[in-house]
Amino acid sequence: MGEKITFKSYKEMPICAMSGADMTYNLTGSWRNVRPYYDFKVSPCRLGCPAMENIQRYIFLLTQEKYEEAWRELMEANPMPSVTGRVCFHPCMEKCTRKDFDQAINIPAIERSIGDRGLDNPGWMKKAPATKKETVAVVGGGPAGLSAAYYLARRGYPVTIFEADAVLGGTLRWGIPEYRLPNDVLDRVVAQIVGSGPITVKTGAALGRDVDLAKLEKEFAAVFVGVGLSRSRPLGVAGEEGRGIERGLDFLRRVNGGEPVNPGRSVAVVGGGNTAMDVARCARRAGAEVTVVYRRTMNEMPAIKDEIEEAEHEGVRFRFLAAPKSIERGASGPLTVVFQQMKLGDPDESGRRRPVPDGDATFTLSVNTMFTAIGEEADAAPFGKLLECDGNLIATKGEWGETSRKKIFAGGDVATGAASVVEAVAAGRKAAERISRMLSGEPEPAAEETGTISIENINTAYFTKGKRLLVPRIPLDEALAGYREIHTGYDDRMLRREADRCFSCGVCNFCDNCWVFCPDVAVRRLEAEYEFDYDFCKGCLVCVIECPRCAISTREEGK
Amino acid sequence: MNAPKIPLPELMTSGHLACQGCGATQAMRFALKALGPRTALVLPACCWSVIDGPFPHSSLKVPILHTAFEAAASTASGLKAGLEMRGDTETVVMAWAGDGGTFDIGIQALSGAAERNEDIIYCCYDNEAYMNTGIQRSSSTPIGAWTTTTPGVHWKKRPKKKMIDIMAAHSIPYIATASVAYPNDLIEKFRKAREIKGTRFLHVFAPCPTGWKLAPELSVSMARQAVTSKVFPLVEVTDNGRTWKVWKDFEPTPVKDYCMAQGRFRHLSEDELRLVAEGIEENWQYLLSREAGSAFVPGLQH
Repeated sequence: MGEKITFKSYKEMPICAMSGADMTYNLTGSWRNVRPYYDFKVSPCRLGCPAMENIQRYIFLLTQEKYEEAWRELMEANPMPSVTGRVCFHPCMEKCTRKDFDQAINIPAIERSIGDRGLDNPGWMKKAPATKKETVAVVGGGPAGLSAAYYLARRGYPVTIFEADAVLGGTLRWGIPEYRLPNDVLDRVVAQIVGSGPITVKTGAALGRDVDLAKLEKEFAAVFVGVGLSRSRPLGVAGEEGRGIERGLDFLRRVNGGEPVNPGRSVAVVGGGNTAMDVARCARRAGAEVTVVYRRTMNEMPAIKDEIEEAEHEGVRFRFLAAPKSIERGASGPLTVVFQQMKLGDPDESGRRRPVPDGDATFTLSVNTMFTAIGEEADAAPFGKLLECDGNLIATKGEWGETSRKKIFAGGDVATGAASVVEAVAAGRKAAERISRMLSGEPEPAAEETGTISIENINTAYFTKGKRLLVPRIPLDEALAGYREIHTGYDDRMLRREADRCFSCGVCNFCDNCWVFCPDVAVRRLEAEYEFDYDFCKGCLVCVIECPRCAISTREEGK
Repeated sequence: MNAPKIPLPELMTSGHLACQGCGATQAMRFALKALGPRTALVLPACCWSVIDGPFPHSSLKVPILHTAFEAAASTASGLKAGLEMRGDTETVVMAWAGDGGTFDIGIQALSGAAERNEDIIYCCYDNEAYMNTGIQRSSSTPIGAWTTTTPGVHWKKRPKKKMIDIMAAHSIPYIATASVAYPNDLIEKFRKAREIKGTRFLHVFAPCPTGWKLAPELSVSMARQAVTSKVFPLVEVTDNGRTWKVWKDFEPTPVKDYCMAQGRFRHLSEDELRLVAEGIEENWQYLLSREAGSAFVPGLQH
């Protein structure tokens, strides 16, 4: 603040009318009736992500070329971005504000790039030491278990993972084909997680067979159960056990294990989920003509939309509103499957319309192999006696994965039924946080801020319309020739270009507009933030309108 | 934080006397950031002679010579001559006048200085009326606007004077329009002007929330819409008036939106608005024809 010059007599005046001081004695802040203040919101993409990834923040860090920091930010919410970046159904993009301007940001492609960079820079992951004495058992080495183990180990808890198979990965390894998630990527992700802290892995240890839940409860300070769904649901059609009919998951397991498969020339896949799509696409790669038969229509298919499109692109045919009715097979040669035509009736408990038989209309398909992929269910035998169940699933309370036993937590498909990788990852992390709080007595966290914005809050004058940058892919003939990963990922230039499209909704990204346009020079530009100088801010609120991303809010003075 | 796109040093201080959301202060701040501390200003009567502050205070860190309404260009010419006599060739002299002091009252001094090709920058910050004295119309006030001297049904019926054409007819080396909504462009143009010898005329669009009956927070937004609705095109005239360049790389917006956000146009009927929009389109086409015919406009070599 400057000084005000007052002349007591004309003798003190300069010989001509000349200024002697600036105007900062004049505190124009007193003119203000509304006050602007920095008020960062939660970007909608973050609210759309089941794992609450701070997407805005890691994209911002990318635009600053701070790759390691971006990776750290991402790993705070999700320990396997290289996996989710490839296989997630990306609900974040549905919420992306840019969707209402031109096209949503390609968030999974960015996530994948950051994750892969973390794998390529092993030095970024510094192993956490065991700083706590309480040990935790994690049962199941799939996405939920790996996530829980990671976040416990990072907090210093010694963790033992019990995995039924010979290797970790669970459904990521056996349920997702290599053209979507290569085994070597998964191996590196698993190795990074296992190497991130005090984690011991016991493979070939199946719950119920080799490991007893009640015993684990006694031996460990806490137990997390994330064993997923292990049983394929049966069709309930006579003749489904026998030659020519295979469970889709079994087929995928053989394919992913590198076993040669020969489903024959003509293949039918019954089901409409991701497993059905993966089975169909693997059968295409084995040289078959594939028809997916689904009892409802395209609109009700639970598979990720991208996967359906990819399958169509690869020549998979679809028949909707049909369900297998009977199977006829001779001693050898193709099977004859009779399908009942269906129509959509009233909505069921999932909100989708229930398929009901459409009179007597049927058709037959002659196939060498028919795969069933109509869903999986949990095997409740290993935990059913100890834990309260909801059908075959473990009953959990709230979002933290608490079960009917105080020391046992559960998450992932075994608690929710068939869901997604990212939801399993989120459940694992939340259970880990809850376990850590239980063991250390930390207080419950404050409720998450959820104030967000929409396209109306964006000053679109500062953005140019463009298109989402698609991830490059290998040609179709090469894709069908084997199990090579279809999408090759962004290079640095593409990553930067897509990251630059982000609006950074509701969060300052230092665009300088508030500082530049302030007519009163009342915004201070500091090292890592801006600050209003309320001594001089007249409250014109130009900054509020010119902030492209609504990171400034207002409040009436005196209220 | 990244390096700023516009210079960090501030030659304008807080505490000045401009209204909330004043475009003229933004214009001054950007211009001085571009020209740097070796700048001397000549101010005729205009908003800025008040904004700057009362004697003996000033909100600018460069010297200012206050002068009479009609005398900006001639005073600047004299100041430059005086500096040259003292051997100072580095200081740039800028006359900083409002639209009244440029389009109306100061035009003969400006025309004289331009004809002599005095080595000065003349900047007109245009808020489209005599705002400081109580919002009287000037020859820069656009057609359709309310002012205190064009009230009610007597809204201004004559179009805005084509000042850029008048200046181009003087065959001076550099003429440009700029807007406070595009600070990078504005700063680039002032920097360019600083490097050129001779009379340089800059015309900066500077919204006046008070005189336009406009919410102060919309001031920059209006300046931007003035450009995108072609009400105030961004033009550069170089090569002694021969080469015209019109900036076209923007998403066009309707003139109606621009007008309806401001109280000074709100009395206009649909038909009247259409006439206003037609006039604006005609002017735009005229500018494009100037741009296309650039090579054939005769100019004097100096």
